[in-house]
Parts: sequence; structure tokens; C-alpha cells
Amino acid sequence: MEILRTENVNKIYEDNKVPVHALKNINLKINKGEYVAIAGPSGSGKTTLLNLLGTLDKPTSGKIYFENSDFTSKSRKELSEFRLRKLGFIFQAYNLIPVLTALENIEFSMMLLGVPEKERRERAKNLMAELGIDGLANKRPNEMSGGQQQRVAVARAIVNNPRIVLADEPTANLDSENGSKLLDLMEKMNEEKNITFIFSSHDKQVIERARRLILLKDGRIVSEN
Amino acid sequence: MLVKLAWRNIWRNKRRSLIVTGSVVVGVVALIFIDGLNNGFLSQMLFNQVNLNISHIQIHKKGFNDNKVIQSFIPDKAKVERILAHNKKIVHFSERVIAFGLVSSAISSSGVYILGINPDDEAKITTISKSIIKGEYFSGKQREIVIGNKLAEKLKVGLGGKVIVLSNRPDGSIGSEVFRVTGIFKSPNSEFNKAYIFVPIKTLQNMLGLGNKIHEFAIITTDYKVTEDVKNEIRNQLDESYEVLSYRDILPLLIMQMELYKETIYIINLIIGLALLFGIINSMLMAVFERINEIGVLMAIGMKNGKIFTMILLESLFIGLLGTALGLITGIGLTELISIHGIDFSLFAESLENWGIGAVIYPKLTLENLIAMLFMIPFITISGAVYPALKAIKLEPVYAISYV
Amino acid sequence: MKLLLKLAWRNIWRNKRRSFLTLLAISFATTAAIATRGMQLGTYAVNIDYAVNMFSGYLQIQREGFQENPSLNKAFKLNKLILSILKKNNRIKSWSPRVLADGLISYKENSQGAAIFGLNPQTEKHTTKIFTRIKKGKFFESDSSNEIIIGYKLLQNLKAGIGDTVVILSQGFDGSLGNLKFVIAGTVKFGSPGIDGMGVFMPIKTAQELLALYGRIHAVVINLYDTYEIEKTKELLSEKLHGTGLTVLDWGEIMPDFKQAIELDNVSGILMLFILMVIVAFGILNTVLMSVTERFREFGVTLAIGMSQIKLMILVFLETVFLTLIGIFLGNVAGYFINLYFVRNPIEFSGELSSLYEEYGFLPVIRSTLEPSIFLNISIAVLLISLFVTIYPVYKVYKLEPLKGIRYT
Repeated sequence: MEILRTENVNKIYEDNKVPVHALKNINLKINKGEYVAIAGPSGSGKTTLLNLLGTLDKPTSGKIYFENSDFTSKSRKELSEFRLRKLGFIFQAYNLIPVLTALENIEFSMMLLGVPEKERRERAKNLMAELGIDGLANKRPNEMSGGQQQRVAVARAIVNNPRIVLADEPTANLDSENGSKLLDLMEKMNEEKNITFIFSSHDKQVIERARRLILLKDGRIVSEN
Repeated sequence: MLVKLAWRNIWRNKRRSLIVTGSVVVGVVALIFIDGLNNGFLSQMLFNQVNLNISHIQIHKKGFNDNKVIQSFIPDKAKVERILAHNKKIVHFSERVIAFGLVSSAISSSGVYILGINPDDEAKITTISKSIIKGEYFSGKQREIVIGNKLAEKLKVGLGGKVIVLSNRPDGSIGSEVFRVTGIFKSPNSEFNKAYIFVPIKTLQNMLGLGNKIHEFAIITTDYKVTEDVKNEIRNQLDESYEVLSYRDILPLLIMQMELYKETIYIINLIIGLALLFGIINSMLMAVFERINEIGVLMAIGMKNGKIFTMILLESLFIGLLGTALGLITGIGLTELISIHGIDFSLFAESLENWGIGAVIYPKLTLENLIAMLFMIPFITISGAVYPALKAIKLEPVYAISYV
Repeated sequence: MKLLLKLAWRNIWRNKRRSFLTLLAISFATTAAIATRGMQLGTYAVNIDYAVNMFSGYLQIQREGFQENPSLNKAFKLNKLILSILKKNNRIKSWSPRVLADGLISYKENSQGAAIFGLNPQTEKHTTKIFTRIKKGKFFESDSSNEIIIGYKLLQNLKAGIGDTVVILSQGFDGSLGNLKFVIAGTVKFGSPGIDGMGVFMPIKTAQELLALYGRIHAVVINLYDTYEIEKTKELLSEKLHGTGLTVLDWGEIMPDFKQAIELDNVSGILMLFILMVIVAFGILNTVLMSVTERFREFGVTLAIGMSQIKLMILVFLETVFLTLIGIFLGNVAGYFINLYFVRNPIEFSGELSSLYEEYGFLPVIRSTLEPSIFLNISIAVLLISLFVTIYPVYKVYKLEPLKGIRYT
């Protein structure tokens, strides 16, 4: 079942007054439950594409549909709501709020949704146990290693049962062992909870383990499977 | 080299530097304006009195200033005149007879200081002749009188009206005379307007049986700054039976107030400087912390602590100088502009006129205070940078370079 | 909301040094404001109290126009109407009639200007504190004897002594000149050059005789139980005296230059404080701005995961509010103790400085006050200025888009 679709999406942005045609006529379909990696050399537009898919940016032309609903025309407020309920994000770094503990960071989006305290706490704790990070519950980000922070980030991203989790270079700052562990975790979540995962990465590990790979070069899709 | 570095570093974070500079500008402009107003205030008080009545120097028989009795005439009038005529620094002088008496109209009476003057001489040393609002100054006839507007109101007399002036003669008897109001004056000092009346000196001398005796010589010098010198010169030429007083001796409280003010302005400078200090310390701290990596690198490649310290201090100094310069230009410009028309304080008119200032105040700047500001404010900005600069040189290069 | 409060609070303490400095700045401004306003207002109160109780009374009844132009014939009779009005008003503690004129006082060959005050010693004793200012000798007891009390400087200038006989000359109601002999029974010292150098207090009936007033007076001086009743009582009395050609004045109208001198000082004090606060506001602006821009990356992520713009703006706003409130609290505490000290230990001047104050009609004293409105007003002012300053940083957050934040360098 289709969950995300782009139609002739183009993105042109200005880099110091020089226009850059980052994405050219992107047409792709992603189905529910897929585990997709968008890869390509530096400057190929993968982060740009991920940002568009995550509603953090708008295409210069073309449309993007989520579950057949056109969200290129939605307002900032609507998109914010949408992201809160339906999407999860994992960034390369600075994922967590420094002044909150791991537990609180995971509870954060539930708090934004108004989930009652008892339920929040339970869900967060259970998830942390599932992911094997419950020992970090009361630690602040600056008390954790990079790998631990990223795992907490994963928990945070999926605790609200989003439809799609978008991860931008999630393993870039980790050594290969931690990177591998992280990928294990995300694959597990994808399989068990049927959450769609879309990555953008140039990490070999990520590319090797991707179930579907979309290769970008100079803003165009050169291959996909 | 350091200077160039420091200067460029300021502009790395334009917004922050502009905000701090902005606060310095506000502080300086405020200081200039406050100073201008206060100065104007005090100067007006002083110079209004000097120009109106007190003049630069007064000569009397010893003891007259404290106790103005009719019998204290100038011992040897001619002698004093000779001395005064020979002094090149004296522009003009005037003779006066001074008595306290009563002036009465058909409606009312009032206690007044009666000044017997020589109209022409007096016009050259005081501003009374220019303060006439109704009628005219003296035309030379006998028994003319010039009174203040407040007094005229109280007595309910107008131009041409008749009043009787009474006072004690030296022998204790009462002398009186009828006068015709020829002019009404208005000075910035409401007390003066109520309590002083002017009559021709001859008429007063006759009324009180004084012959040609006088009580006071009022003197204007070439410049108020040479007043003390001239006073001493005259003092040396006269014996103990005279008192020679400058306006500073006659208005000791006012002079004291002006001296006191000079100290007050330092304190005000300090307080505003302190208020600026917090903002500067915070700002420089952030400027340092943002550049920890860079400072680490500088240290690693061999830049000595002293130089780093100086560089940071220089950055703060530049901001201080910039702010002070801009503040001075704006502040001086603003004050000069306002001093053309002055500020109308008529809400406080009665009080101000009581003190002889007048309801409109013209701000006035003094070089002294401006220079003080020019040094104090940048100094304060440097002080604000000391703590952050110390923190910077305490960094360990190795940790600083990889700081995140 | 609770989330935001928790976040805001924790965010303040992230950069302890910076927050501490900002707190210091806010507290400093608040304390300085409270201390200086305390001293200003406290000292005014002392001076007003003194002037009112000492001499002018809280209110005075006079003929219309007398205050602006004090001429002898603007006098009136203390008739039954006025007496009953005064008696019936229960806010009035006491009252006393006065006669006012200018004259000449002479002793042997010396004459000096005199400001004549005719008083009824029995009623004056309960209404003002003139009697407490006696320096030498004794105040007269009767309202019709020929004893006078004069300013001590006046005594010096006349070269007279207590017990000497003097002549006072003045113009009467009918226009004629009158003079009477008086005996100096004592001297007073007020610290006010006007009264010390020219004041002559005499029994009211004798003054009326000297001035041919035939029982008329110039003013009724009124003492009230409560300073806060001035406005009300003035209104009531004015109503009752409507149409009689008499008017009721409060101390501010009786001593306009005094009142204005206070106002002038008041205004300049407020101005100085305002400037101080503006400067501190710049500092706060910079601090908040920096703490916001530093966190753009974090904010970007927060917005990306779906926190609404508004919530983020409120967060930043709350942070400043917390800091300001703490600063204000500390400032109030420090200010309270400073004011308390100066209430219990007022500063008193002596010597030259003292003379300067007296010249202007002020007591050479500086005293503070614990009047709650000072603390309240200043706290509100500091809060408002702080909040105003937050507008720009909050605006920057409003404009922030998640991507811009994440990519911020």
C-alpha cells in the first residue's frame, strides 16, 4: 500500500546567490513498511530529498502526497501537527534536548500531544526496555556516548507510532560497531512494528543493509530497486 | 597586528557588537543630556543673579553685606573711584544707595529693598534696563521709580501711578517721598520682582538725608574668570574699613552647590557605567567562549597569554570608544540643538523663578565633564573585559582546540 | 504548559555564569531603583510633614486671590458660617486664625523689613508647631498683648536684645500708616532664612489693631487628623464655602515653590532611573538573544519533531520571565534592607551642606521609606521593560524554520 508519492518534484535553492538545481524531476513511490535508503555522492541531493519527504522543506515545483493527501499545500501549522503525529526524525547529531533526561526526551512528543502522565511514562519505559536502553533513563545527553544518544533518538522517534521515520545520516558520527547496533535496532522496529524507514546516507553499512536502495546523482534518480 | 585583529573580531558578531555599542551610546547621550541640563540650571542661577544685581565685585564698608544698615556708607568714595578707574580689567562700575523700606500704594504696601542708582551707569552693568516690560527705564526726571511686575500687581499700580516710599534715615527718623511709576520690569527671579525697587540715586539721597554718600560700588570685569584677581588687586589698595566681595563671596551657597555638582556628576557617570558593565561583561564572555577553539589554536601556535589578554581588552576598548564617540556626537548635537530654544519647564515655573532660574532652561555643556566622560566610559568597558580575558588565558590549548 | 515551565526553568541554568550575570544586572537595577526612590520619597515625606505641621497647616481658608497676590485688604471676618463649618467637620483636628502683613521693624536707628504674622497663641499651639521653635525667651500667651517673637537673625541685625522695645510700622486696611511699640519676648529659629531673618510673630488682636483690620483675618490654618484626608476635606469645605468669596487651599497651593521643588526632584529622579533601566535592558537583550541563537540547532530539531512555533516562543518568553522575576525578587529583598536601614538611621547633614539645604527650604536630612508602592511600581517597571526586550528574540524564534535552525552555524 502506497504511503508516500512524489510527482515531478524539483528543488532549486540559492547558495550564495548562485541557484542550485538540487533535485530534478523526482518521481518515486514508497509503500508502507518499506526500509529504504537514499544514497549518493556528496551533493547528490539526498538530504534535500529527505527534508522534502519529511515536510521540513517545500519543493520548487511538483507535488508530494502522503497517503494520497497533497501536503505541499498545507500550512506551517498543519505540517507541524502532522510531523508530531505521523512522522519520526533521527538526525545526525543534536537530536536530544540537552536539559531533559533520556526518559523525558522520549516522553517529549507524547507530552506535546497531551498524553496523560501515567500512560506516557509506561510507554516510554516499555520502549526503552525493548530497545535495551532502560539503564539510561535518568541520564542527560551529555552523560551518554554518541551511540547511546542515537539509540535514545530512535526511541523518541518511534514512541508515538509514526507512520514514517526519516533518518538523515544517523550513523555518520558513530564507529562501525555502534553504527551496526543502531541499524539492528531500526531494522527490528521496522519488522516488528511495520514502521516505514527512509534513510539518507553515504555510509557503506547502511547501503549494504538497505532492503531498497534509491541512488541519486546530480539530483536525479539513477537507479532504484 | 593585535589592533587589527581586535578590531576585526568585533565585527564577527555584528548584532551583538551593535547592541553593546548601542547601550554605551545611550549611556553617554543620557549623561551628556543630564549634565547639560544641570549645568544650564546652575549657570542660569548664577549668571542671572550676577547680571541682574550682584555683578562681579561689590565694595562696601566692612560689615555691610551681613548687616545692611543705612549708616554703613562707603568711607571714602572718591578714593575708591580713583582705584577703580585705573584698573584696566574693570569694564564698568556703578554706585548705589541701598535701604530697606516700605513702598505703599493706595491699595497696599510692601517691604522692599530700595536701590538708588545712576541709571546710565547701572544700565551698563546690569540687565535691569533690558528687562523693562512696560513703560520705560529712567528718562532723567526726578522721582521716577521702576518696580517689578509682581510688586506692581500687589500694589495694584500701573504706569504713571503714584507710590510712597518710606525708610529710616541715619538718625532714626523716617524719610519718605512720593514717586511716579515710569517702568515695570520682569526678571527671571520672582523674589527680585517682588522685593526690589529702583529710584534715581540723587532722589534717594535727598529723601534720606545722605548728602552724596553711597553704600555700594558694583563692578563688572572684562571676564568673570579674572574676577578674583581684580578683587585682590582692589583689596590690596584699600584698608580694613572696606570689604571687597566677589560674587563667589556673596553667593557662597550657590558656589558650593556648583562645586558639589562637579562631584555629583562623577557619581552619576559611575552609576551609569556600572549599569553598562553587566552588559559588557556578559557580551565579552560570550565573545570569548564562542572562540575557544580558535584561542586554543592561537595558543598552540605560540601566541603569548599577555597578547591574548590584550587583544580581548582591546576589543572591548574599541566598542567602548566607538560607543563613546557616537554618543558624544549624538549627545552634543542633541544638546546644542535643544539649547537653541531651551526646554520649557513652566510646570515648575514658580519654583524655578523663585530660585532665579527662569522657566526655560538652556542646557549647557562643559568641556571638563565631556572629557571626564571620554575617559571614564572606555575605562569601564575595559574593566568589563578583564574577567572574560582572564578566563581566556586560563584555557589549556589542548582542550580548547577540540572544544565542542 | 507544565512541560514548557519545566523546560524553561532548566534552560536558565544551562549557562550558569551568564544567567548569574543577568540576574545580577536585574537585581542591581531593581535595588538601585528601590533605594533611590525610597530616599527621595522618604525625604519628601519628612519635609512635607515638617512644613505642614510646622507652619502652613494641611489646609488654609483664604479670600480668593490672596495666595497669588497677598494684599492686606483681601481679608475676611471669621463669621458664624465659617465657625460652624469648621466645628462640624470631624476630620479637622484643630484650626487657628492668622493675620499676614509686611512692615518695617526698627530698634533705635536700625530698621529691617518684617514679615508680620498675627497669631492666636491658644489655638495656634494645637494647630502648628511654631511654638516649639522658640530659641530664647518665651512665646506670648495672650492674643492681645504687645509682646513679639522675632527670628533670631532679625534680632541680630537689629542689634537688639530680649526685653528691648521696638517700633513696627505698617500700612493699614484703610490705607493709613500705623505704628505700635512692641517688646521682644523671645526669638525663634526655623532654619528658614525668610522667617529667621524677617519673621515677626505677634498676638492676633494687636496685629489687627496695628493694621486697622477691625477683627478681620487673612487665613484660617487647619490641622487634620490624617494626611490622606486632605483631598476629601478640601472638597467638603470648598462646597460649603461656595459663593462666599473664600477658597480652600492645600499645602501644595500655599507653598507652590516648595511643592514644585519636590516635583522637580521627583521627576529628575524618575528620569535617571528610567535611563538606568534602559541601559540594563540592552544588556538583557543581548543575553537573551545570544542564549536563543546558540540554541538554534536544538530549536530546529524541536520544531522538526513537531513542537509548534508558538510553544517554542512561549518557552523563550518564559525563560526571560523566570530570570526577571528572580532578579526582581532579589532586588526587592536587598532594597528592603537598604531602605529599612535608612529609615532607622536617616542621614543628617551639618555645616555648609546643611545651610545649602535650608536655603532652599529643605531639612538637611535624608531618610528612606518602606512605602509598599515603591517596591510594587519598580518591580512592575522592571518586569515590563524586561518583557519588552524579549520581543525581538521571541520574534527571531517565530521566524525560525526547522531546517534553518538545524543548519545554523
